[in-house]
This record gives sequence, C-alpha cells and structure tokens, in this order.
Amino acid sequence: MTKEKKTTSGVVQYTTFYCDQSLLGLDISFVQEINRNLDLTRVPLGHPCVRGVMNLRGEVVTMLDLRTLMGLPKSPNTIRNRNLVLKCEGETFGLWVDGVADILTIDSQDITPAPSNLSLVESRLIRGVYQTENKLVMLVEPRELLAASLTGIRAAA
Amino acid sequence: MFQDDELIHEFVVESSSHLAEVEGQLLQIEAAGADIDANLVNTVFRGIHSVKGAAGFLGLTVVNALAHSLENVLNMIRNRELIPTSPIVNAMLRAADQLRSLVDNVASSNSVDVSSFVDELEAIANGSLSEAEVVGDPHQHAIENSGFETELATDSYINDDVALLKDCDPAPEAVVAEPAPPPPITKKAPSPPVEKPSMNQQSGNSQAKQARPADAFVRVNVALLDRLMNLAGELVLSRNQLLSAVSLGAKEGLENIASRVDQVTSELQETIMQTRMQPIGTIFSRFPRVVRDLSAKLGKECSLEIEGNEVEVDKTIVEAMGDPLTHLVRNSVDHGIERPEQRAANGKLAMGTIRLRAFHQAGKVCIRIEDDGGGMDPAKLKAKAVEKGLITGEQASMMTDGEALRLIFAPGFSTAATVTDVSGRGVGMDVVRTNIEQLGGTVDIESTLKQGSAVHITLPLTLAIIPSMIIGCAGERYAIPQSSIAELVRVPQADMEAKIGRVKGAEVLRLRGALLPLVRLDSALGLRTVDEYSERPKSANILVLETGQMRYGLLVDTLHDNEEIVVKPLGKHVKELGYLAGATILGDGYVALILDVVGIAMQCNLRNIESSVKDAISDEDAARAEEVHRLLLFANHSTEQFAIPMAMVARIERIKASDVRVVGNQNLLIYRGNSLPLLRVEESISALPPEESLANLFVIVFRIADREVGLIAPILRDIRDIQMKMDSKTLREPGVPGATVIDGYTTRLLDLVELARARHPDWFVSEGIVEAVEPEEMPTILLAEDSDFFRNHVQRTLESDGYKVVGAVDGQDAWEHLQTIFDDIDLLITDIEMPRMNGLELAKAVRSLAATSNLPIIALTSLASEDDQARGTQAGIDEYQVKMDPARLMDAVRRMLAKT
Repeated sequence: MTKEKKTTSGVVQYTTFYCDQSLLGLDISFVQEINRNLDLTRVPLGHPCVRGVMNLRGEVVTMLDLRTLMGLPKSPNTIRNRNLVLKCEGETFGLWVDGVADILTIDSQDITPAPSNLSLVESRLIRGVYQTENKLVMLVEPRELLAASLTGIRAAA
Repeated sequence: MFQDDELIHEFVVESSSHLAEVEGQLLQIEAAGADIDANLVNTVFRGIHSVKGAAGFLGLTVVNALAHSLENVLNMIRNRELIPTSPIVNAMLRAADQLRSLVDNVASSNSVDVSSFVDELEAIANGSLSEAEVVGDPHQHAIENSGFETELATDSYINDDVALLKDCDPAPEAVVAEPAPPPPITKKAPSPPVEKPSMNQQSGNSQAKQARPADAFVRVNVALLDRLMNLAGELVLSRNQLLSAVSLGAKEGLENIASRVDQVTSELQETIMQTRMQPIGTIFSRFPRVVRDLSAKLGKECSLEIEGNEVEVDKTIVEAMGDPLTHLVRNSVDHGIERPEQRAANGKLAMGTIRLRAFHQAGKVCIRIEDDGGGMDPAKLKAKAVEKGLITGEQASMMTDGEALRLIFAPGFSTAATVTDVSGRGVGMDVVRTNIEQLGGTVDIESTLKQGSAVHITLPLTLAIIPSMIIGCAGERYAIPQSSIAELVRVPQADMEAKIGRVKGAEVLRLRGALLPLVRLDSALGLRTVDEYSERPKSANILVLETGQMRYGLLVDTLHDNEEIVVKPLGKHVKELGYLAGATILGDGYVALILDVVGIAMQCNLRNIESSVKDAISDEDAARAEEVHRLLLFANHSTEQFAIPMAMVARIERIKASDVRVVGNQNLLIYRGNSLPLLRVEESISALPPEESLANLFVIVFRIADREVGLIAPILRDIRDIQMKMDSKTLREPGVPGATVIDGYTTRLLDLVELARARHPDWFVSEGIVEAVEPEEMPTILLAEDSDFFRNHVQRTLESDGYKVVGAVDGQDAWEHLQTIFDDIDLLITDIEMPRMNGLELAKAVRSLAATSNLPIIALTSLASEDDQARGTQAGIDEYQVKMDPARLMDAVRRMLAKT
C-alpha cells in the first residue's frame, strides 16, 4: 500500500503535468513512475476514458485519458505525451497526460480553495489551487480521479 | 482472551491439518477392528492430544473438553480396553467433525454446546454401551445403528446425503440397468429427526466452507524454496551481466547472457509452478468416509480402493475438483453398485468395489472412477433421451454405444430438480462436465452392462498457463482458449455466398448441413466502422466455438499461432466487460486480450439468433418444398461426390469395415441376424474405388423390390436441400440419371434402382407382369413435366418397362395433347409446379372434360404436405408420388392401369 498522506498541513511534493493548456498537480506519493510507454492495446466497447491496456513489466495496466476525464475531447498524440503511472487504493493505472512539468514542493498553507467558477467535473477532482509567480497549478485529488473514472464506467455498463 | 491473533491463527492451521488426517485414520482403525494397530491409534491420539493441549493453553475450553473426551476413548482403544466397532467409530467421527467445525470458527467456539458429543463419548468410555453392542458383529451394528444415526444426524455429510437422496432423480435410476431400490433410510427413518442441538446449523454451515483459514496458505517444501532462492540469485547475476554489457555497448557477450536469462527464467517459472502443486490425495482423503456413510445408508456394501494420492496438480484444480469428484463417487455408490442380494444373484461378491485412481499421462493428469456395479444400458439411455426430446429417434439409431453413454452429460438429461439443488452442490452430470470443462479438462464414460462403469477425467496440470489460439482482427490480436475451439473453418472467397447466408438478418454458416450462428468479431466488438468493412479479408476464417450448450462460429481476419499464454488479471476499469476473460502478454510484449467465448455470445444475444435460425429453417423448408430436393451427399473416392435423394433412404448405419463379408461375388453385411446385400458404387458405374480402407463405413439402406439393400458410402459429406439443375447428358450412364455441381464437386445423382438392377438383374424378374402384355397393347402414358431432367428420367424409367410415353413440357402442352389424342392416353403423370398451366389446373381441366373425366392421374412432387395433397385430391388427382423414387412410381402406374 502506498503511504497516503492525509494531513492538511505540512509540506508535500507535487508532480505537475499538462492537460491541454492548464497545469495540474498530483501528490507525488501516488505516482509510481513516469514513462513514455505509450504502446497500447485498445479495449473495444470500453468506457471512453479508457485509452487501452499496456504492458508494465509483465503486469497488464489500464491507461486512462486525462483529457476525457476532465471533460475535454481527446487530442492527437504528440511527442510530449507521457504516461503517469499512479497507484491509488490498491489499483495501478496509467494516466495519459499532455506532457509533464516540474516537481513542486508546496506547503499546504499556500493552497487556496478551488475557484467557484470551475465546471462540475473539475470541481470534484480539484482539491485546491496553488499559485507560482507566473502560473496557476490545479491540485488533483487522485482518489476522486479514480472514483470518477469508475463511476463513469459503472454508469455506462 | 484472544489477544494474540497470530497464535490463534497458528493453532487453527495446525489443528486443521491434524484433524484432516484423523478422519482417514479413524476409518482405518474401524477397518482393522479387533486387530488394533497400536501405532495408528497412537498417531490419532497424538494429533488429538496436541489439539487439546494448544486449546487448553489458549483458553478454548470447549475445544479442550471435546478433545479430552475423544482422547479418553482413544486411550482405551490403545490399551485394548475397547474394541473399535462401527458405532464407536461413528461417535468418534462425529466428534472429530464437530472438533473441526469448532476450530474453523474458533472465535465463537467457546459458546457452543458440545455436551451431546461429550456425553456420548463418556458413555462409550464408561462401557455403558452394552457389552453385546460393543463386541457384536460390526457390520450388523452399522445397519442397526442407522436409525440412531439419523436422529443424531448432525454433521453436514449426513445432511448432504439426505439432500442427495431426496434429489436422487429417478432419471438416472430409470436408465441404470438394475435400478437401485428407493433409498431406504430416509424414507423409513423411524421418527422425524429429534430437535437438533443448537450447534447443528452452525456446524453444517461451517463445514461447507471448511478449513478456509488453512486454504489461504500453501505448505512448500524447504528444498523447493532453496531452489527458488538459488534461481533468484542466478537471475540477479544475469541481470547485472546484462546491464553492464548494455552499458558498455558490448555486442559479443550479449547472446550468451540472453540465453542464460532465458534458461533461468524458464526454470524459475517451472519451480514457482511447483509450489502451487498439491497432491490430489487432499481431496481423495474425504472419500472413504463418503463411501462408508452413503453405502451404510443405502444398505449397500462398498469398498473403496484409492491409488495415486501422491499425484500433484495445481492448487486451483485440486480445490475445484472436490465437488465433481464427490458427485461421481456418490453416483458410483448410489447408481453403480447394486444391492448385496442383487450382486449375489448376478454371481458377484456382495461387496462392491469402487476404484479411484489418479495418474499422469501425456503431460496431463487423469482421474478414473471405476465401479464393478450394474453398468448402464445404452439402449435405455437413448430411449430416455428421445423421450426427453434431447435427440430424435433418427439420431438415436445412428448413435454408437459410446455416444449413447455420453448422453448422461447432456444438459437436461437429468431432471431439472437436481440441477437447481438448493444445497448448491453441483449435482447432475452436466454440471460435473461443465465444471471439468471450465478447468480445461475433459470427461468421458465407459460402461459395460452388468460389469460396471468407469468415468475418465483428464485435467491440465495447471490453469495459470492455458494453450490458446492467437487470432487477428482489424489490426489487433486476441487470444482464444484452445479448449473452447471445436474446429477451424476456412471459407474461400468463391464459396462465401454458398456457405455464409443470412437468416432473419443474422448471419449463419452452413457447416455439413447444419446452420451455425455466425458472429463477426469486428462487428461484435465494434472494431471497424461500417466504412471500414471494405477492409475485411475476402475469404473467411471461422473458429467454431463450443462451450456447454453454446456452439457458434466466430469470423476473424487472420489465424496466428497457437501459444501457451499466461493469464494476467485486468484492472478495475475493464474487468467488467463481459466479453473479456483476461489479458496476456505475447512474446513481443504486446498485450493481447483473452476473449470469453460465452461472453461474446451474450454480447450478441446469440440465443435469439439461434432460435431465429431454427424458425427460419422451417420457414425456408415450407417455402421451398416444391422446388428443392433433399439430397444425401457422399464420396466414395474423395474426389468424386455422389448424391442420393433422401426420399429413397430408409436409414443410415455406421458399421465396422470388418463386418462386411464377401460371399461369392456379393458383399454382405451380417446385421440384426439377417444378411444385408451391399452394393458398391464402383461395381456398377465408372467410379474410382475408395482410396484407403477405413475402419468405419456408412451404409445407406434402402428398399428395392421388397428387399433391403445397402449401398456402401465410405465418406458421408452432407444432407442438403438442393435445387435440381441437373445435366442429364454429359455423365449419363445406367444408374446415373444426371449430374450437377455442388460445393465445387461434380456430383452425380445415383438412381438406386438402376444401380441395383445393373448388379442384380435377378431381383427384378418377379416384377415381370409387363412382359406378359403384347408390345402393341402397352398402355400409353402422358407425362407433363417442365424440367427436362426429370422428364427424361421418368420417361426412360417408364419406357424401360415397356410403356409408351408422350412427353409434354408443361400443363398447357399436355392439355393440348390430350384434346387431340385423348383416346390413346391411358394414364396422366403430371408435375405440380409448371409454367403456363400447373398440375392442379391441368387435373381440373381433365376432370371437366367428359371424355377424360375417368383418366387416372398421378402427380409427381418433390415433397408434398398434407394440405397440398388435399388440394390435389380436390382437383381430381388420384395419387401422389415422390419424384425420385422410381420403384414406387412404377408400382403406382401398374396399380392404376390395372384398375382401368
């Protein structure tokens, strides 16, 4: 089991990555690895957010599409695409992102609540917002991300 | 009290393993009787003693008390103060069962009342079971005691048995040669079971999920573990070599390292598999008790011989085989072994023997359950299957004995009540078969009437690796387990239209005369959009899939290799897709999805297709009845195909080639006490002889001139409804009225009468009434038939008997002929379906004209329904005859002409 940090104060490291133009961040303790392993086997009749399954050193792991999860249309593959492998609540899955950025160390005191003008999907997934000098990072709650993807599937099934 | 969970857990695991052995040992003690084996008793004693000791230490007072009582009795046996008779062992077995259920539910064990067990054991220890009972004939006791046992029926075994007996469906019993009389005990139970102690329910439940805590653990040989450790070390070493070679960019050593990694990995895989292997004895060990209890209840005497306890199989298989094997063993006792008096009457030992054997064969594990009981009668099985509507009488007559025996595995063969048994145990042979097939195994049955039956099970060694076929579709690769593939069919582009048809919108494959629902993988899974359908290959690769009751064709793009694949679990997001059974990683690292054969069928609502296929077949039959002939296709030499109208065929027999005798220049088949003359195609017409001698042949039996004749058909191809477009010139010779092309084969239609006449002219001599008539007085027959082929054929047949024939190409033509030459016509033979004027109109016209109103009319049809016949009679037709049966037609002609 991953050590999931439940504290609301203290310093946490965040992996930041892109979804379209916006910058998102995820608690680094949920991130197993980041790679360019983008060879997928597509899963027919699967939920739209499932991009396919991949071979992660002998394990078969599901790849989810971040854009679809955020309510955006799928984008064409680019050279910047990365596979973010997450482990959350015992489930290992990949997240297809539009490129990765830095790792930020953020003090929870500096996190401000998500703005109220976010869309419904976003407001569920976004735990808060952190502001650097020139950028805004939306911090994603991984458990919500997993739950949202699974409910989507249950609803579709 | 239970502070130390780990200690408790250890106690459970250890006690379970002790208690698991106790049962078998007690039975051995019982078998030895007064001849007490001190070592054996000691072993049991030690086992119970350590349970008692640990329980006392952990404060499990109830377990401790019960173990203590049991120990007392054992101690007396050990000191030869007590002789272990059946009643005593019964009591001990029940106590041991109770102990087991206490241990399984250790947390609640202290609140369970075991006083009934303790009292009983105390009574034995105090010798208060009377002397006579203790020293008497043990066998007699088993029977006397059964009432007592029913009252005290506390453990799940007995409950199960009662359930089984209630459910004993009369079905198998009815078909077993010597049906066992109704089970006596349950019906004659002296009184309704006494109010059971409060523990009973609980113990029954816990028994069902017995030894759960121990199940999650596997005992592994330390030597095996050491080997694993060694291999892991080797693997690390090889990895280091690989990494350094890669970082140095060295190419030379790489091959060596690769082969080393390869070797170590496969060895590692094998060794890890071995840790999952368990001796099959772990399930066999429960059967002595099952046989003992059940045979006592049924008043039978059975001994069980077990061989191959040490044979190892994958843990999953060992666990999954428990229920099917239990069912088979119970069946052997219940339906197989006869009652002692019956056995004595048949000259057998009163004691029946059941043998349970496990052994390795050809990389698989085989299990055989044999009994020397009454066996099964194939004829009765067939009769029952026909009665249940599982097969038709025709199918039954073509079945071999082996096939008939296999009927017991057919779904629906046993009554529905057994399948939906509330006990949840897979009762019913079809469930046994399904369970075994799910494990990738097979099951077969042999039986000899009055000598016994044997069930033969073959299982794979492991489930983690399954042989599969890799197929390709729309650029993706998928795996399908070999076990569900019945056959592969390739339909070349040229045959696509003939082989693949559409029935009510659903595609079907014509396969040897049957219509098989067809599923296109790409449309079932939405792999291609409609625009992309043009990318489909021009020819079709079809896998005929079979699981349980379902059978269908799956059309894919390409067939790749067979591979042994390792099944990997799928993540939560895709697990719920019904058509998927898992995924695997192929040699090149590509993830291939494993298709679930049943799931795909459900995805496409295949059941509906199947029923609509059936409907449509009958619709089609009705619609085409007038134009189409049902032909039996067979081959003598594989390059030459022949056809016979089904209307002529009385039946088809499968025979052994060795049963054909040659007497003089005749082939004879000795058959049902008579000899059947046999014809060979190559004797009468120019045809190639069969290319190889086959062990089994088919014989097409038909009636000619009041006798049965058989035609040898080495290879049966199909029974097909075919539109007759015959070429009656090119290949014409006596016996061959015409030919057509079917499935790319030039197919010659055979006229059986002509064939027989060519070979045995003597058979037809007695028919010679026609010869007595002077040629000029021969009757003239008007023949109206629009098909040249049939007209020529019938005309030739009539003329060969000396009749004069006037041909007409349709009803109108015939009507015109008739009006000019009606005086000369003695008989009208007409087809029904004809252009311009059909047969019915012609008949009406003939009847309306005074001069011809008495002219006899025979109608020729291919297949006439009763409705058609009624309409025909109304129109004035005297008789209906089937087109391709010249012998009957000639009979009718003779009869009609004799009347006038």
